[in-house]
Amino acid sequence: MAHGTSRTTVRIVGNPLHPLLAAIPFACFTGALLTDIAYWRSADMQWANFSAWLLAAGLLVAVFAVIVGLIDFLFDRRVRALGVAWMYAGGNALALVLAILNSFIHSRDAYTSVVPMGLILSALTVLIMLVTGWMGWELVYHNRIIAVEDRT
Amino acid sequence: MNVKLLFCAAAAAALASCGPAPIDPKRQIGAHPYLPDIHQYLVPPMHVATNIGWNGATPKAALGLAVKAFASGLKNPRSLYVLPNGDVLAVETDGPPAPINRPKEIVMAWVMNQAHSSVKAAQRIILLRDTNGDGVADMQTVFLDNLHSPFGIALVGNDLYIANTDGVMHYHYQDGQTQIMTPGNLLTPLPGGPIDHHWTKSLAASPDGTKLYAGVGSNSNITENGIGAELDRAAVWEIDRMTGAHRLFATGMRNPNGLSFEPQTHALWVVVNERDELGPDLVPDYMTSVKDGAFYGWPYSYYGQHVDPRVMPQRPDLVAKAIPPDYALSSHVAPLGLTFYTGDALGAHYSGGAFVGEHGSWDRGEFNGYKVVFVPFADGKPSGVPEDVLTGFVDGDKDHGRPVGLAVDNSGALLVADDVGGTVWRVTR
Repeated sequence: MAHGTSRTTVRIVGNPLHPLLAAIPFACFTGALLTDIAYWRSADMQWANFSAWLLAAGLLVAVFAVIVGLIDFLFDRRVRALGVAWMYAGGNALALVLAILNSFIHSRDAYTSVVPMGLILSALTVLIMLVTGWMGWELVYHNRIIAVEDRT
Repeated sequence: MNVKLLFCAAAAAALASCGPAPIDPKRQIGAHPYLPDIHQYLVPPMHVATNIGWNGATPKAALGLAVKAFASGLKNPRSLYVLPNGDVLAVETDGPPAPINRPKEIVMAWVMNQAHSSVKAAQRIILLRDTNGDGVADMQTVFLDNLHSPFGIALVGNDLYIANTDGVMHYHYQDGQTQIMTPGNLLTPLPGGPIDHHWTKSLAASPDGTKLYAGVGSNSNITENGIGAELDRAAVWEIDRMTGAHRLFATGMRNPNGLSFEPQTHALWVVVNERDELGPDLVPDYMTSVKDGAFYGWPYSYYGQHVDPRVMPQRPDLVAKAIPPDYALSSHVAPLGLTFYTGDALGAHYSGGAFVGEHGSWDRGEFNGYKVVFVPFADGKPSGVPEDVLTGFVDGDKDHGRPVGLAVDNSGALLVADDVGGTVWRVTR
């Protein structure tokens, strides 16, 4: 068994689940930023519709990512001992709050569902997730928190 | 169930977003309504009443008037028409299923389901006849079946016109007929699906019988389905009865209904449902005479030059042309029925004035509407404040029914279609 890896991390057939799940909201929210920009430039409502669906889909998967992440975080003392894990969790929590607000903004009708507040929130969400995403890789590769242990 | 609590309380706690406190609706009545600042919600309030039926109870008529059920057990009666022999046509109708374009529409569909009747409309027209004159219909026949979200009816001589949501149909009608067996023919197609947001097509024949006028509502609240979906909508169409050719008589009216000719000036009047989600007191719904060629603002502006920031690209050229309507009815009352009173059976007080059926609000903390009001007229213009004629549809957070279309029968009684209550009410002295 490799040293310093977590035993309690939630996995499916040996692979940790949280990094897989966390990638989906990140991709959705990045997509929403792009479709927001497309709407801002074109005023074509279909782009704004894409944004609303991407935000909703991202938030839906985020619910599961949060559950799995919380289990990893709460049930392993070594994870909680890492400052970067706290920053990762806090940053993602902030990003999710912004994404929820953004979903409500996107539920408005027509132009002001995106410009300016929706666009700003989409950009902030992606910026935060870029940082937390980098922290996530830190946790996986540098601290080996949820690296696979049983295959070695 | 209390949807308001679910949406508004959760939202208020978390986000403090339920918006400004409502103002007194009386400040938004008449030619110059008070228009507060725009408030765009994070979570718009959705306050719909739970229907508990009438169970033998009736609405409350104004002092000096009485009300009785003319017919009950109907499936979503939304509009009425009185034939020359006194038979009453009740249109059992509902809108076509709405497409889901955004996550929001899943929530909206659910809320609207709470507000509307759980009874599936039959998409047909029922003929109601009172053979013994006791003020209750004792004969019911299916007059016309298999219609497509019908709403408006107009009769000129033996030519009967039914406005389905996607077109005006023409039928031959013989006095006294209780059922139409011959297939109709399409006079003029109207904008229908696949998106058909405001689907009720109100209909009226001009006093000289040469023209038909049809109300064609917008395809969105405020262009959220794209401006392309609004082609020839938010307008009153003028249709040539002989050829079926049409032109846009007036534009910029978000959802015009209750098309009626004012008896003294013969001007066409409508009631219009204005836009939502700018606050509990924006934008006041209104009634107005319809001026040929006029533009009433939607979607770019309201009450003249009050620009709506949600529309892009904006059109300052059209905003400059927009004219304000004649008479505000206050916000979100959802007027869907309008009829002028030319009889005297209800008393001289009502002669020449207009009855308005207010279906009632759904996007406002405090209920507004849910009643039938009377607006006195003099010289072809409203000459006073609206008076309640029929109330008692709402009881706390519950409702018994909701008033929609209006008509005056041959004895001069006022008929009120109550869609959720499944009833046609008859108001007499």
